[in-house]
Amino acid sequence: MSMTGVVAPDGLVAAAAERVAPSGRVRGMGVFLVLLAFVAVLGFVSSVSSRAHATFLLSAPPAVGVSPLTMSVRWTAGALAVLCAALGVLLVLRREQRGAYLIFGVGFATFLWAFLVWAARGAQLNFVQMLVTTLISTTPLVFGSLSGVMCERSGVINIAIEGQFLAGAFLGAMVGSVTGDLWLGMLAGAVAGGLFGWLLAFLALRYAVDQIIVGVVIVAFCTGLTNFLTEQVLTPDQTTLNSPQTFAPIAIPLLDKIPILGPVLFDENVFVYLAAILLVVVNFGLFRTRWGLRVRAVGEHPRAAETVGIHVLSVRYRNVVLGGVIAGIGGASFTIGSVGEFSSEMTAGLGYVALAAMIFGRWKPFGALGASLLFGFSVSLQSFLAVLNVGIPSPFLAMAPYVITIAVVSGLVGRVRPPAADGAPYSRE
Amino acid sequence: MAMNDLSQTGLARRALRSRGRTKAAAVLAAVALGATSFAASAASASTNAAGRRAAPARAAHAKKFLACEVTDTGGINDRSFNASAYAGLKAAAATDPGITYKFLSSSSTSDYQPNIADFIAEKCGIIITVGFDMADATQAAAKSHPNQRFAIVDYTYTPAIKNVLALHYDTNEDGFLGGYLAAAMSTSGKVGTFGGQDIPTVTIYMDGWVAGVRYYDKVNHKHVVALGWTPAKKRAPGSFAGNGLFTNDFTNQNLGKQDAATLMAQGADVIFPVAGSVGLGAAAAVKQAGAGHYMEWVDTDGCISAPQYCSLFITSVTKGIVPSVEAATLSAAKGTFHGGNYIGDLANNGVSLSPFHDFQSKIPAKVQSALVALRSGIISGKISTDPNSYPVG
Repeated sequence: MSMTGVVAPDGLVAAAAERVAPSGRVRGMGVFLVLLAFVAVLGFVSSVSSRAHATFLLSAPPAVGVSPLTMSVRWTAGALAVLCAALGVLLVLRREQRGAYLIFGVGFATFLWAFLVWAARGAQLNFVQMLVTTLISTTPLVFGSLSGVMCERSGVINIAIEGQFLAGAFLGAMVGSVTGDLWLGMLAGAVAGGLFGWLLAFLALRYAVDQIIVGVVIVAFCTGLTNFLTEQVLTPDQTTLNSPQTFAPIAIPLLDKIPILGPVLFDENVFVYLAAILLVVVNFGLFRTRWGLRVRAVGEHPRAAETVGIHVLSVRYRNVVLGGVIAGIGGASFTIGSVGEFSSEMTAGLGYVALAAMIFGRWKPFGALGASLLFGFSVSLQSFLAVLNVGIPSPFLAMAPYVITIAVVSGLVGRVRPPAADGAPYSRE
Repeated sequence: MAMNDLSQTGLARRALRSRGRTKAAAVLAAVALGATSFAASAASASTNAAGRRAAPARAAHAKKFLACEVTDTGGINDRSFNASAYAGLKAAAATDPGITYKFLSSSSTSDYQPNIADFIAEKCGIIITVGFDMADATQAAAKSHPNQRFAIVDYTYTPAIKNVLALHYDTNEDGFLGGYLAAAMSTSGKVGTFGGQDIPTVTIYMDGWVAGVRYYDKVNHKHVVALGWTPAKKRAPGSFAGNGLFTNDFTNQNLGKQDAATLMAQGADVIFPVAGSVGLGAAAAVKQAGAGHYMEWVDTDGCISAPQYCSLFITSVTKGIVPSVEAATLSAAKGTFHGGNYIGDLANNGVSLSPFHDFQSKIPAKVQSALVALRSGIISGKISTDPNSYPVG
C-alpha cells in the first residue's frame, strides 16, 4: 500500500495497525477455540452411540466421481475436537501474532466439521451442494458490496444498494423477457442501477444533500416504483413482460472435472464468474493502479487531492455511477440469473446485508467477500440442518445466518475505519 | 481529528454562504420523497380504476356494492391465496353485475391496519382480509366497526365474531392425498416439502402430506422418506406443531429455489413447496434439475396459475378459496351475510386435489383408484390424517 503524500499520517498508522491482531484478542481467540472443543466433546462425542456413522456425499456430475465419505461420528468428532483444542492452546501460548487469524480460521473449521458430522449422524449430507448453495447465495452480496466499495472509497456513502438491486432485477427481467436476449437484460439491469447511482451522485455531489437521506429516499422510491409497475404493467401481461429465460450454467472445460471443487466453482452461471472477475478487477484497480490511488486519495482527503490536480467531483461521479452499474448487474442476477421472474421486493433486504458485508470487510473487496461467504454459508447451513432435522427449532435456524455473522464478525473484526472523507460533501473553496 | 474539524467548519461556512444551494437541495429531496409517496398512492388509485374497468356492465344496476380485498405481503400476483381471493371477487362480480371490486396491497405487516381502515372509510360492502397474519388486525377492526362486514381467509375465531366470516380449510385432508401420490411417484425413495413460514395454515398442509407418505409406506410396505417436515411427537389435539424447513419469506423466490435444491441434493425427487409465489423458485430449481424431478403445487391449480411449469406438476393440493370468497361476497351483496366460521374439507369440496393434467397418463391406474378410496376413507373418518398414527419410514 503506497499512499504517499495524499493520506493523513494517522490514516497510515491505523492502516498498519490493523494488519496485526492485538495480543489480547489473540489470547481471546485461543480461549474461544478451547471452549468450542469442549462443546464438541460434550455435544458431538459423548452424546452419540459409538456405532453412529455420518456420510458426506462429495460428488456431483460432471466431476469425476468421489466416493462418499463415511465417518464414525464419535471418532471423527473426537479427533477434530482434540485438534481444535490444540490450535486454541497454540494461540494462547504463541508470542508471534502474525497468522493468528489463519490458525483461528482452521480451528473454527474443525469445529464446524465436527458439528456437521454430528448433524449428519445416521444420514447423508450432500456436502458439494452445500458449497454450491453457499456460492449462489454469496453472489448477489459480492455485487452489492463491490458497489459499496466503489462508492465509499471515493467518499460517497451508498446505502441505496437495495434500491439499485430492485431496479436492476426489475428491468433485467422485463427487458430479458421482451427481447428474449438475456445479455440485453443484463445490460438493462446495469443501466437501471447506473441511473440510480447517477441520481445519488447528482443529489449528493451537486446539491450536497445528506447522502444517507438520499440513499434512503432512493430505496423507498425504487421499492414503490417497482411494486407499482409490477402490479400495473407486469402482472396483466405476465407471459410477455415477466417470463425471461435464465442464464444456464456454463461448465468450464477440464476445470469442471476437478473432484469436489469442479461442480462448485466451475459449473456456474455467468453472474458467478462475472462477480469473481469484478472482484479481482476492482481490487487490483483500487490498490495497484493510478486510478485507484486517486480514488482513495479523494475518499481520504479530497482537499489534498484537489491541490495535486485531481478533480474530486468527477472522480466521485464516475465511481458512484460505476457502483450503481455493479449493483444493477447484481440485481439482474436475482431474476435472469436465478428464478426467471420479478416479484415485488424479491431482494428481501440483501442490499443492506451487502452493505454490512462491505463494512465488516473493512471497505476492501476481498474482506467483503469473506463476510459475504460467511453469510452465504450460514444460509446454506441452516437449510441443510432443517432438512437433516437436527432438533434445533426452525425459528432458531432461521436466525442462524444473522447470529453467526454478527458473532464471528464482531469477535474477529473489531473496530473498523471508514475512508476519512466518507459521507462528507465537498466543494471547492 | 483535524480533518473532521476542517470539514465541519467548512460545512458551516458553506451553509452560511450558499443558502440558495441548500434550498435547492431541500426542494430536490422533497421532490424525491413526493415521488415515492406518489408511487405508493398511484398504486392504489389506479388499482381502483382497473377494478372498475374489469367489472362488467356496472351501469346496468343502480345498486352498487363494493367488495374490497387487503392482500398479505405476498401481493396480488402470488399465484396463491391472495390471487385466489381476488379471483373469488372477480367471480362474484361476474355473477352479480352490481358488484365492483378492488384491492390494496400490504408490503409489510404494518400495512394491514391502515389498509383495512382505508377500506372502512371507503364504505366497502365487504372487506376480505387474506391470511393468518391478518387475524388480529381484522378482529380489532371488526370489534370497533360492528356494522362493517368482513371475511378472512385462512383463520377461525373462537368464539366466532358476528360480523366476520372466517374461512378455514382442512388442507391436511387433501395434503394427505398429495403425500400419498408423491410417495407413489418417487423413484428415489425420498420426497421433500418446505414452507413459507412456520404457521398453522402452512404446517397443516405439510402435516397431512407427511401423514400421506407414511400411510403409503405402511400399506404398501415401502420405505419412502419425507424430508423437510417432522411433526412433533407429543402435541395438543388440533395442533400442527413440528420442525422443518422454512424460507421465512413469501417474496424472495431465490430462497425457494435454494430450499428445493437442498431437498433434491438430499435425495428428494418430488418437491412440495407450501410457500405461495416463493414456490415458483422451487419450480425453477426442479426444472433445472431435469428429468425425473417433479413437484406438487399448493393452494391453486398450478397448471392454471403458473402454466409455464405445468409439465412439472404431478398435481396441486388446493383449497377452495375462490368459491368460498365468491359465496361470501355474493351473500354480503344480497344482504344474506352471516358471520361465523366456515370449514372447507374433502366432504364439501372445500379442499381437493386438482386434475392431473400432463400426469393423467403417467400416474398408474392403481394409484389413481387408491386415491379415490383414500378420499372416501378420510371423509368417513376411517383413515386418520394424523402423521403420528403411522410408523416413520
